[in-house]
Amino acid sequence: MKLGKRWLPAHILVWAYAVLLLVPLYYFLASAFKSNDDIFAHPFAPPSSLGLGNFRTAFDNGDLGLAVVNSALVTVFSLVLTLLLAIPASFALARTRGRLAGLIEKVFSLGFLIPTFAALFPTFLLAAATGLFHTRTFMVLFLPATALPLSVVILVQFMRTIPAEMEEAARLDGASTFAVLRHVYTPMCLPGIATVLLLNFLTFWNEYLYSLVIIGPDPAQRTVQVALPTLKSITGTDYGVLTAGTVLTLVPVWVVYTVLQKRMQQALVSGAVKM
Amino acid sequence: MTTLTTTPDGTASRRPAPPSSRSSASRARGQGGTVLAVPALAWYLLFMVGPLLAIFVIAALHWPGMLQPVSFAGLDNARTVLDDPVFWDAVENTAIQLAVALPLMIVCAYMLGYYVAQRPPGHRVLRYLLFIPGLISTPAKAMVFYAALSPDGLVNGALESVGLGSLTDAWLASPSTALACLIALDVWGGIGFTAVLFAARLGSVPEELGEAAQLDGAGHWRTMWTVHFPVIREYVGVVTMLQFLWTLFGSAQHVLLLTQGGPGTSSTTLSFLVYQKAFIAADLGYSQTVGVFLFLVGLAGLLTIRRVFRQTY
Repeated sequence: MKLGKRWLPAHILVWAYAVLLLVPLYYFLASAFKSNDDIFAHPFAPPSSLGLGNFRTAFDNGDLGLAVVNSALVTVFSLVLTLLLAIPASFALARTRGRLAGLIEKVFSLGFLIPTFAALFPTFLLAAATGLFHTRTFMVLFLPATALPLSVVILVQFMRTIPAEMEEAARLDGASTFAVLRHVYTPMCLPGIATVLLLNFLTFWNEYLYSLVIIGPDPAQRTVQVALPTLKSITGTDYGVLTAGTVLTLVPVWVVYTVLQKRMQQALVSGAVKM
Repeated sequence: MTTLTTTPDGTASRRPAPPSSRSSASRARGQGGTVLAVPALAWYLLFMVGPLLAIFVIAALHWPGMLQPVSFAGLDNARTVLDDPVFWDAVENTAIQLAVALPLMIVCAYMLGYYVAQRPPGHRVLRYLLFIPGLISTPAKAMVFYAALSPDGLVNGALESVGLGSLTDAWLASPSTALACLIALDVWGGIGFTAVLFAARLGSVPEELGEAAQLDGAGHWRTMWTVHFPVIREYVGVVTMLQFLWTLFGSAQHVLLLTQGGPGTSSTTLSFLVYQKAFIAADLGYSQTVGVFLFLVGLAGLLTIRRVFRQTY
């Protein structure tokens, strides 16, 4: 369909919104290189120099370097565990049509609707009861559980498209169930696995409330999302440092997004759609 | 229970396997299967369903702090909560938040999604930009708003530079604007992300539909609401449900990071109340009673939204 002249207001509104999305980000990027005085006096002016002083302060004051390492550890181990749990489960659910399997699948597809936040306090109790309170370990064990419903639902859909003949052929060659999973199903649903990885990378890296409550404020253990808001109080109103810290936490996500934009959008869209 | 999908005759005859081995293969397929789902299921039950059920138990306990003795309270907590004006403030704030943010977000996002789906000039750039809020973590988003709305932040700076200095305010610290700021945060990020979801779904609506309507003389406005909307109605419902849940439960983090529920109770939402009573006020029975209430509100909301958006053709 052609967009006629009457679309002018629509163009203007849409791009005004786009600017609304961009301005704060520009303001952040620019402020990260400025001093407080500069920020207040000329909020929109580009920075006069590209000194990294604010970044260094953010690193020192907020222990951001350590926090980035912690976040990376939690994210990577949680991703691995998620796949270790979700791939066999999806494999099982995609191939069987028993009543039990149907029930399990139902549990997972409904679980998608349970907001993680609801059980914050009982989860905190669980962490205390298992002796893993104030550790990253508990987050590594816990985060995959929150990601399982969506991951299983997505992977099952991918695995259902693999023809049964593939497995039969492998079976005739004497392959065990495990070998079928490893050498037939896993390679064939790599796109599905990539989707799950991307989606969960975002969720795990960005997770805040549980990390705050369970890992706590100990600089040796806390993740970058927990460390970030502390820059607000430590530095009073040093916006340059605050914005520099924020920019730092965004870099990994932003790099992944720019490189894998198409795939990431598909992943996020499918994440919200498949239920 | 047969687990084999019916194979076309050609493939079946090509394979030399006798019928008996085929049926044993199919049995193996059935058994080897379900067991592999057990670890994931157990994990899920332990870390998600268990804690969720625990909410209902704790809600019936009198538990005035982590290290305090616990006693059975029955419905006492519910009575305390219902008598507490703070709870009703939170109910009101949550109701306002949902009533403003949700319709605004869904309607704007749908129109924006329709716009992007028409592939106007620059739609690729737009798609890239609209996704940005979906990538930014809650603390980072909150820091953006904190820097923008603080007394000497972006908004006041912009107002002053255009000569509207009298309109400046301590946005997050003023009772009349704190809640509005939180809603603005939801809407700011929510529209873009949701719009991309709608655009993706609208992209799969056959183009002939819109073209036929145009030939009949319908403008874009009519096409958008009377042709495309009915087709993806159910999908809009699903997205509305998700946004509803994110807004209802997710607000705790925004409130915690930006206003701490204040000034007074002017920006205390239900989910923040759950957090505050558990981790700041240490009134655990109270907190989880509100948690149960929140859960029921979520459930009722989901069923209502599903009803409203049920496919009508």
